[in-house]
Amino acid sequence: MGIFGSNKVAKNDWSAMSTVVKAEAKLQALGEITPSRRAGVIYRNSDENAFLNDIEFELKSILYVGEGATKTAFEIEDDDRGMRWIVLEDGNFSDLVSSVYTVGNAIGVNGAEDNLLAAVFELYFTGTVEDNTYRSGLRTYWIYRYDRKAFYPFVPTGDNEGDRDRSTEARLGQDLRKHGLAVEKSLTEWMGLWGIPF
Amino acid sequence: MHRNIFAWPFLALKVSIMSSSPTTRKFHKDRGLVTRMYFTMFMLGFLYAVFALFLYSAGTAMIFIVPIIGIIVAVQYFMSDRLILMSTGAKAVTAEQEPELHRMVKMLADRYDMPMPKVAVIDTAIPNAFATGRNPKNALVAVTKGIQERLSERELQAVIGHELAHVANRDMRVLAIANFLVTLTSFLMTMLFWNMLFGGMGGRRNNGGGGIMMVYLVTIIVYFIGQLLVLALTRYREYGADHTGAEISGDPGALADALEKISGTIAKIPDKDLRKLQTANAFLIIPAALKGEGSMNLFSTHPPLQERIKRLRELEQRMRYGLR
Repeated sequence: MGIFGSNKVAKNDWSAMSTVVKAEAKLQALGEITPSRRAGVIYRNSDENAFLNDIEFELKSILYVGEGATKTAFEIEDDDRGMRWIVLEDGNFSDLVSSVYTVGNAIGVNGAEDNLLAAVFELYFTGTVEDNTYRSGLRTYWIYRYDRKAFYPFVPTGDNEGDRDRSTEARLGQDLRKHGLAVEKSLTEWMGLWGIPF
Repeated sequence: MHRNIFAWPFLALKVSIMSSSPTTRKFHKDRGLVTRMYFTMFMLGFLYAVFALFLYSAGTAMIFIVPIIGIIVAVQYFMSDRLILMSTGAKAVTAEQEPELHRMVKMLADRYDMPMPKVAVIDTAIPNAFATGRNPKNALVAVTKGIQERLSERELQAVIGHELAHVANRDMRVLAIANFLVTLTSFLMTMLFWNMLFGGMGGRRNNGGGGIMMVYLVTIIVYFIGQLLVLALTRYREYGADHTGAEISGDPGALADALEKISGTIAKIPDKDLRKLQTANAFLIIPAALKGEGSMNLFSTHPPLQERIKRLRELEQRMRYGLR
């Protein structure tokens, strides 16, 4: 870790990540999305990190124990590309977001901040009859990259790398920025995650 | 989209020609935009006056220069459509050759209450389109094969609507006058340079090299500022055409889609999976936030695409929710 990299997780993640709460609420109010309840944190697993070795136990105590615990349900899944996912589910979106933040933060402060890749939120668009902006029932993912501290939309159209609906993503990115989401400015950084396990 | 410099002969000093003309307009204008355009025009005129004053006090004879420029500009003005065809390789097409395109142009021209313009196609894969003509009666709209192939009907319609908006807004005239002023200035600059090197040709009465150097410097500065103002003006006209086109079609998103598609911004979204990314960012010295784009704004004729798309999307939003 160099001079520039030591506080990667600690400082701005919450202020950037929490913009998703506002954006989600706005879109809900406009009737453009259905309530969202699922999200995930993806990281590169490591045998050498004690916290990661005991992740299930650790997360249980963080998410379930104590006052103000969100009690967000979670599952651990390994994908076929060597990554581990913490998949979270909560009917209350702002609880979901703070749980996602908490999980990422816990991994970060326990010495694995460089292993963190992204947090991913799943959102369904309802679409409206007269506007053809988004297809009805369109499933989108909003990916938060820990190294960039910003979101971008991801709309996969298949499981193969490169299968994505770029024009929908581009316009969605514009809309979400307008709704207050911290959107990644550089489109070249909008890397996909194919085969998300939720 | 892109108009050749030939297409910009002559400007209507007033945008209000539009509203006072016999044809009724169903769209209203963006007030701030018009104000800024007037301001830019005013600044141009002001600059011109100051410049004339300077030349006068320096004792330069303008009698020879002005008519020459006048002729050049007149040629540009009255032959712009032919010049455009010649310089771009655009070929006029008949309704039989391009029935779909003709139908689309006709439909849009009707919405603007303007006569059917000439339609031309340019045989290139590069997606582009332009309009020219000193007034709606002499208008020409041209599209490239590339843009025809790449855009959907809805998007192509938005692009042609944008081009016809330039015609309806008399942008060619606006820009021609602005262009005229800058052309005049550049001519004068060359003449003065000539004078400075060889003397003679009306520069004799001057009291030595220092005066000429002074005039020369001032000319350069005036020319430079003039160019910037013209560029600012064309950018405003561009926003104006986006706006007018959107109001005519009622679908601002269509042009935004088209711009995104042809600009290649979308193509920047990578194929790569995030999991293939190594922890390279830890070594980056320049933080991502500092690597912002832009700074070429001042010099580009078209406003940054991002900004145009953003404005169109905002307009789309306002139209959708009925906020004005």
